[in-house]
Amino acid sequence: MGLVTKSAPQNPGTTLVQTTPSSWREAHDSAIHSGGRFRGLYAVGPDEARCSDRAGRDETGTTIRSVFSFGDQVKVLSARAVPGRSGELRGAGASLAGASAAPAGASVTGASGSGWTFPSIVDILPAAAWDEREAHDLYGVDFAGHVPMRPLISHSDCLKSWTVPVVGAGTHQVAVGPIHAGVIESGHFRFHVVGERVLHLDLRLFYNHRGLERAAVGAPLDTGLAIVQRACGACAVSNTLAFAQACEEVLGLWPDAALKTQRTVLVELERLYNHLNDIGAICAGIGFAPGTMAFAALKERAQRLIGRLTGHRFMFGTIQIAKGAFCLAGGERREARQELRSIGEDSMRSWREVLFNTSVQNRVTAVGVLDASSAARFGTVGPAARASGIPADTRSESPRLDYRELQPPSPVDPTGDVAARMALRAAELETTLALLDTLLRCDLHDATAGAVAEGSPVGVGVVEGPRGATTCIVESDGTTIQRLHLRTASYANWPAVAHATAGNLLPDFPLVNKSFELCYACSDR
Amino acid sequence: MMPDAWVSTLVELAAGTVAAPLLPGIIQAVKARLQGRPGPSPLQPYRELNRLWHKSTVDPDGSGVVYRLAPPIVTVSLLAAVVVVPATSFEEVSPLGHDVLVLVGLLALARFSLALAAWDTGSGFALMGASRDLTFAALVEGMLLAVLVLVALPSHSTDLGTLMATTSGLAGWGGALRWCALGAFGLVVLAETGRQPIDNPDTHLELTMIHEGPLLEYAGRDLAMLQWSAAARHWIMFVLTVEIFLPHAHGMIPQLLSELVGLPLWCVLLAVIETWQAKMRLLAVPRLLGAGTAIALAGFVTWFIGARP
Repeated sequence: MGLVTKSAPQNPGTTLVQTTPSSWREAHDSAIHSGGRFRGLYAVGPDEARCSDRAGRDETGTTIRSVFSFGDQVKVLSARAVPGRSGELRGAGASLAGASAAPAGASVTGASGSGWTFPSIVDILPAAAWDEREAHDLYGVDFAGHVPMRPLISHSDCLKSWTVPVVGAGTHQVAVGPIHAGVIESGHFRFHVVGERVLHLDLRLFYNHRGLERAAVGAPLDTGLAIVQRACGACAVSNTLAFAQACEEVLGLWPDAALKTQRTVLVELERLYNHLNDIGAICAGIGFAPGTMAFAALKERAQRLIGRLTGHRFMFGTIQIAKGAFCLAGGERREARQELRSIGEDSMRSWREVLFNTSVQNRVTAVGVLDASSAARFGTVGPAARASGIPADTRSESPRLDYRELQPPSPVDPTGDVAARMALRAAELETTLALLDTLLRCDLHDATAGAVAEGSPVGVGVVEGPRGATTCIVESDGTTIQRLHLRTASYANWPAVAHATAGNLLPDFPLVNKSFELCYACSDR
Repeated sequence: MMPDAWVSTLVELAAGTVAAPLLPGIIQAVKARLQGRPGPSPLQPYRELNRLWHKSTVDPDGSGVVYRLAPPIVTVSLLAAVVVVPATSFEEVSPLGHDVLVLVGLLALARFSLALAAWDTGSGFALMGASRDLTFAALVEGMLLAVLVLVALPSHSTDLGTLMATTSGLAGWGGALRWCALGAFGLVVLAETGRQPIDNPDTHLELTMIHEGPLLEYAGRDLAMLQWSAAARHWIMFVLTVEIFLPHAHGMIPQLLSELVGLPLWCVLLAVIETWQAKMRLLAVPRLLGAGTAIALAGFVTWFIGARP
């Protein structure tokens, strides 16, 4: 059924597979069953706002794509709906609605033969739920069988439209945010509770949607890099690196050894200060001030070091397309290595104080449990998935980076609770510091990427950031961006936060939330 | 009433009012040092109160007289409670007397009016905090009463002045009663002052708040009054601890001296506890308070079994 457009042997990369709306679900079924990991679904456009008249829109039709990674190989499934194929599509939608026990209703009849309706895949791939909702809100794509289609990015005043109905004696709702008592990004949490126990949590994020993806359309690749960098400060390296890798794939380039090394150093430095921050944040969630302060100080030390080395505390401007912008040599490198060792020793000392404090351990064990099957179902990535026992570390399948020396972290009891996520971060801190120590044995030089293959219309970069795998998809003719899609680890993990919160006490939510420590800005590009 | 009584009451009131904010100030300063930060000076609460006192107040839409009156009622109850607790056992009898039951009643009145104000605003976080506070209060107030009655057993009086006199010296410390009373009262202090591990006074996380919840809607002068009242609870609890529940000397000067030393020491102790204890899980708090009540009951048992003179 597929049409392979490009596959260079020495360049493990992206395969674009053309499917049709009617074979869309089968294609996903086979991708899931052959071990593919879902990395995102997006509509190519034109987006709804640009098609002012409905008739013109219906004439063009639209394309949706979904991305799976198989180790270091990426497969992009693509389907185009055109008005002429309406009969076939309506059939697919109707049979789906019957099969998935959803009330056959508005969304299926909405498949009125326009080129904007696709069969939904949420029943076989729950991880795609947010992606379908986003494509619906921003691109006007309908997904037959996704019932009810709750708004994700469009904020409606009607509470019922976006919350899950919870009824019963003594149940009530507690609304938190979007304005909080502390300095936190804007997000609204609606808890359905009985007494102090949370039954269900509805998230409403996307208060600061900036339209970064649309801003990048038509821009040169370098401008796209700057735009992606602005998505989020704390994940700047992971996001831009994913973008740069996608662009290099579009251009048919492959990084040389020096470029691989310096990029690996940068992404590990980002992991270092984020993990230090996250452990401190968990301590803050339970009012354990010594831990909070110790790790806040360590994070500050790490960021000051990063600021000295790269000229920016969040490493802005260090990742460039097809070239390296970060050199480190001689005394400076030795000093950095020494400071990293010192940070490592101090962080392990502080970690032991947290680990052996009974009152802390009492608070974090068996709270916010995300079991392995749920983590797999929601497509959870990064430390959250690994703490639940899912081996989701894309570092070992990143040929564009230098992870030859990676020693996988010592095993942590994968109970999926807050304690497991915290302990996993501590273990990964050690791995990261050991890796940095190894990589900084040699100077980091000017680096570049060389041409190895002809260009490709679609490039996909997957980078294991501090919060997990971040995917960036670039569709380009080689000079300007036609479509940019950034699916960050935070975006992938938010549904898991809501799931892990259910069943816990309301006052434990800040703790559960901080154990994931996801970005709002990363999701709300 | 004798003029002396008025003078001593006014001195007591002035001392308690002025000194109370210093206690949380010391705790904050010591905590900061223990966490490796320079932290604010112990006088910071005075600056806070001064700042808030000169700011205007805010009323949420739809709130009424209950919300408006809560801060004055809380403040006056705490002022009265400060008068009811004598600083030494040589004080003249205050116009309010020095009875234990009056003290418990005044503390309950303050809590109750703040909870009502939370209902008046209808704010989710205020209500959540108030409902948790009242739930725990059912245990804390009973425990406070039980432990005060426990120490009153040997002296056959619930007058705080008499209690301070009869519990002085090291006489009763051979028996279990005093030890049980001290243990249970330690938990009462943690609960009444809203400190870790029961509550976290420094948190900005609305969902975890207990005592701070009902204060969220208040601003300016109202908030200043409520913050002073929270400090006054520290004063009352610490004076009771030092003058009744810990071994102390008899005599006006030794008692004043022991307060001068004992109150800051008690602040340091609480700061240390807050530093190495994380906040408890909310539903574990009743268990802790239940344990405190059990300790107090054990004291009763030992008393009635045999230690009677």
